[in-house]
Amino acid sequence: MIRHFFTFIFLFIFSALVQAQDNNVTANINIEANVIQSIELITVNSMTFGNTQPGQEVIYVNPITDLNAGYMIAYGTPGAEFRLDYELNRQLTRIEGEGFLNFRYELSANSIEDQTSSELIEYENRNLRFNSEGIYYIWVGGEVNLENARPGNYEGDFTIEIDYI
Amino acid sequence: MRLVIVTILSVLFSLSSLAQEIDFGDYSALYSISLTELSPGMNLNFGTVADNEGLVSIDINDAKIYAIEGVKYLDIIVDITADQFLLLDGNLSYASDPTRRIELTMAAAYANMGIQDPSQAIIFNVFGTTASAQFPIKYRGNAPPGPPPTPVYQGYDPTVFNETAYLYIYASINLPGGIVAGSYTGNINVSISYD
Repeated sequence: MIRHFFTFIFLFIFSALVQAQDNNVTANINIEANVIQSIELITVNSMTFGNTQPGQEVIYVNPITDLNAGYMIAYGTPGAEFRLDYELNRQLTRIEGEGFLNFRYELSANSIEDQTSSELIEYENRNLRFNSEGIYYIWVGGEVNLENARPGNYEGDFTIEIDYI
Repeated sequence: MRLVIVTILSVLFSLSSLAQEIDFGDYSALYSISLTELSPGMNLNFGTVADNEGLVSIDINDAKIYAIEGVKYLDIIVDITADQFLLLDGNLSYASDPTRRIELTMAAAYANMGIQDPSQAIIFNVFGTTASAQFPIKYRGNAPPGPPPTPVYQGYDPTVFNETAYLYIYASINLPGGIVAGSYTGNINVSISYD
């Protein structure tokens, strides 16, 4: 008699976890911004003419040599290039009433605080650069013709625009 | 002859979950997903800004756009993580210096009606520096979810079942003044997977 023992062992092991391939997708976005320092313009001294002599027809304030020249300092991003714009001719109005004077401005500028070595700002050299400390020095002069001018006090403003290039 | 057959059936099921939900994410290896930049190589660039310019925004029309191609009736989960600040020269040590960091606010939206159209985009809810959304590759409106995905079979062509959704990443920065001039950089990371 032969006994046959058939032992069947069915071992079913189900793994419910599928072998996951990693199909998660990713992206990386770079963000950038270039910050420049906002420009500030400070008036240190206003331009003055003093009293005119009788019969004097023209007053001229040399921005390079005259101590009466106006003095301004511009602050911005160190080393940044900027463009300077101003109105060449302005009208000064008579405070006491009717009358005006035409004024023609002249500007000189320097990257160091030295008026005598400053250079005239002409149309062709208005692209300038802040120094390594982000400062630029500007002197304001000009010429006014007093012919036919009424006696009195005159005033006017001066607009200067500075923009980064 | 006596035949004794002893049959032992030992069936061991290892089931980790008893939930009734069919989680296609577990089987997502069968389905592909791809993410493609529409304008490769372009950064999210704010350009030149003044240190006191205030809020500067790149809106959705200038966003970084990605095409997400996948099985149209499956939901995907999009996770977005942004840096809190752009840092001067990307230097991490400036993260605690208010004069050398710029606060970044990330924004994101998706369009899943089959066309790349920002006006159809749905905006993500953003919580601090993270945003997350779950949506089907192809908008199904108020209709119930479609049938289960077609099983893989011989000659199976997954692209037949694919559709493209679009992801828009954009941002704004705040410049209150007193920020040191220079180049500021940061990152936004996007991660996408099937639900």
